[in-house]
Amino acid sequence: MTPPAFAEGYGEAGGRPPSVVFEEVSKFYGEVLGVNRVTLNIPPGITSLVGPNGSGKTTLMNLMTGLIHPDHGRILMRGISPRDPEALMRMTGYATQYDTAPRWATGFTFITTGLLLFGYGRADAEEKAWKALERLGLTDAANRKVAAYSKGMRQRVRLAQAIAHDPDLLVLDEPLNGLDPLVRAETIDLFRSWGAAGKHVILSSHVLREVDVISDQVVLIANGMIMAEGTIRAVRDEIDEHPSQYIVRCRNASDVAARLFGEDHVTEIRLNNDRMSMLVMTRDRDRFARALGRIALDGHRIDAVVPADENVDALYEYLIGGE
Amino acid sequence: MALRHTPFDPAQGGARGSLSGRARALGVARARQSWTIAKVELRRVFFARRGLWVYALALLPALSFFGHGVETKIRGERLARRGMTEPALMDSLREGESAEDVKKRLGKPAEERWSVRSKRVRQHEGNTGITTHVIEPAVAARFVRLNVIRPTYSGEPVARIYEFEVYGPDGPDNLALGRPATGSPPCRQDQGPEKAVNGSIAGGDTDKWCSEDRPLFLQVDLGATRPVKRFIVRHASAGGEGEDEESDTREFNIQVSLDGKAFTTVESGVAGFIEERTEYGQAVYFDGRREARLLFVDGKLESRNIDPLLNFEEDRMIFAGIFQFFYLRLAIFFGCLGMFMYLVRGEMSNRTLHYWFLAPARRDVLLAGKFAAGLIAAAVIFGGGALLAFTAMVWPHDAVDVQAYWSAGGMGHAFWYVAAAVLGCVGYGSVFLALGLYLRNPIVPAAVLLAWEGVNGILPHAVQKLSILYYLQSLCPVPASLDADAPTLIRLLAAPAAPASRPEAILGLLLLSAFVLWIASRAVGRMQISYGSDT
Repeated sequence: MTPPAFAEGYGEAGGRPPSVVFEEVSKFYGEVLGVNRVTLNIPPGITSLVGPNGSGKTTLMNLMTGLIHPDHGRILMRGISPRDPEALMRMTGYATQYDTAPRWATGFTFITTGLLLFGYGRADAEEKAWKALERLGLTDAANRKVAAYSKGMRQRVRLAQAIAHDPDLLVLDEPLNGLDPLVRAETIDLFRSWGAAGKHVILSSHVLREVDVISDQVVLIANGMIMAEGTIRAVRDEIDEHPSQYIVRCRNASDVAARLFGEDHVTEIRLNNDRMSMLVMTRDRDRFARALGRIALDGHRIDAVVPADENVDALYEYLIGGE
Repeated sequence: MALRHTPFDPAQGGARGSLSGRARALGVARARQSWTIAKVELRRVFFARRGLWVYALALLPALSFFGHGVETKIRGERLARRGMTEPALMDSLREGESAEDVKKRLGKPAEERWSVRSKRVRQHEGNTGITTHVIEPAVAARFVRLNVIRPTYSGEPVARIYEFEVYGPDGPDNLALGRPATGSPPCRQDQGPEKAVNGSIAGGDTDKWCSEDRPLFLQVDLGATRPVKRFIVRHASAGGEGEDEESDTREFNIQVSLDGKAFTTVESGVAGFIEERTEYGQAVYFDGRREARLLFVDGKLESRNIDPLLNFEEDRMIFAGIFQFFYLRLAIFFGCLGMFMYLVRGEMSNRTLHYWFLAPARRDVLLAGKFAAGLIAAAVIFGGGALLAFTAMVWPHDAVDVQAYWSAGGMGHAFWYVAAAVLGCVGYGSVFLALGLYLRNPIVPAAVLLAWEGVNGILPHAVQKLSILYYLQSLCPVPASLDADAPTLIRLLAAPAAPASRPEAILGLLLLSAFVLWIASRAVGRMQISYGSDT
């Protein structure tokens, strides 16, 4: 049941599917960069923000929900600005990573109080609170203080609070952290059903493997910048196709370059002026290594092969869950 | 940001001509949201364990007035039990009457206490520098010895004795005159111990025994064992030495011995001092209402104070003073600091503020809810505290007096005290709510604000209107007066500004608070969640 007064008027604009839009959004914490020129267009469904700790996932989520405001650029959440919490939060639930709850709160009063602020009557609010607690398996703990919960239970109670008012837009910061396998599977099912129902489910993870199966879209983020965005398949291809760079030192650089250029995985070669080294870009590291081996066997002396962009490689390996 | 999406903005509705029903419904819904927030917060502000001291501040005046009332009642009963005096008799007391006369006329006092105070007074007249010591009864001695413990008043460590005379029980002969004398080593060869038994003091610097080697002593062999009754010691000023008797012996004793080995102390003394004894007497008479406190000095009535045990007028003045100088300036000030600064700042440090920011409520609605909670709690605590203190102040007094006071505007006083306390919470609450949005540490702004409110009384009139206290003092029904002997600076700082009329004061205070709250609502709109270690 929708509470009165706020009920109408916050619908999505036009016939287009409503989406979450970031336009050139930057956020600085003093001198420190939070996120830099982020442009996103997230359609409904399950979207995962994936990046290492400190990459800017939480910053993006706080920007989406108006907890912080961007220094540049603009954000629209299904047509609503995060500067308007009265409209935005009505259709949004955000389970943060802040592992705190008000001291007075039991699981039940915590959620009920939130619902009262939506304008629901007490009976309605309590019914919805029970439903949310039940979904997250917290019925038994409902009347205990949240402060006394285990870490996993606090994670669940925050999830329950975020979903209690049945929002169209769910922002969940590392929602699968600390969930036991059974609840985890049930929660994922919940995400899936919402995604299928045309809702936005935006969640974050620092391991792509954890979310790739359930995500319709993934957004890879590192150092406050979007590295890749799209369906999981497209992102994987993008990573696979991302050329690796190597510096090759050898006696006869021109000949070696000519041999390498014959390989189809090599996309570019830049010879140094001293003719003793070159920069090689390849889409396939394994085949590149085999090719170098063949060239060496043919009598070309190769002094050294050094990866030129280790950091980027490492990042991608990390994101896609390489060992 | 140009992306505001507020389809129901009441301002827009108004611009279109009439307030639409939807906008009105939205206003009601926002008010209900505020109230929901306030209800949640109320519990927190009322029962915060860290806020218990606020209750202590609020109840302190009530407790002290209650304590005063109980104490006076108990005292009145105790005095009455011990006997009452006719009021006319009490009024007939005159200074200078003797204690016996007073007791004969008024009977036994309800309370009396006599004490003798004796003190040693430095004697500046007469033959200072000469001390006489009488031993009762006389003792037998062959050797007499003068030990100097503290040689001078000035602190100079030099003993100077011009003459040491010893007398028997009968006869004016100085037994020590010309007898062999020894002592601690002299300052100079011509200031040896024999100079103290040569019968002369007029010879100036070389007519004395002088020594500065501790232990300082002078010993005379009387030649044979004799009864000894009296000693006379002539100190530095007796020989005309030293200014203001500063060089006289401060502390010494006299010992006697039969064999020159075992000495007995027979006298200890100080030069230039006499003992003054004064007898003080305090007596209290009670006539059922008034208490007469009498002070007798050496048996004569020195002063009398007749005061009612309970002085309603005085208590009301004390209440006015406590209310203005303690309650408004300190209790409500710091109470509101604790309660209102914590409303937002506390949730920031507890990392729970984001739950409020994630509610579907405008930030100013949120702020209004929190302010309402703080205000209700502060008004109940401090308004109640003021009312309780007023009640405790009135309670012990005579029903007739109270009735008279009540019909002469007393109820109005009570009302305005409570109103001033509540409006004080409005004013200081709004200021501290706003400060809590901008600042982390409450100490510096509190100190600045306290100083501002304090010195405000001496600032130009236009600037005074920017202080909460100015309006609050204008609301107080009884102007508090300071003792005329208070330090000038204190009187200057505490002097109430020229008061505004009551409607002016209320309007001014509310406008000032509204302005501060408007600033606060702008600040909370811009506020971002930052718990310190976010990524």
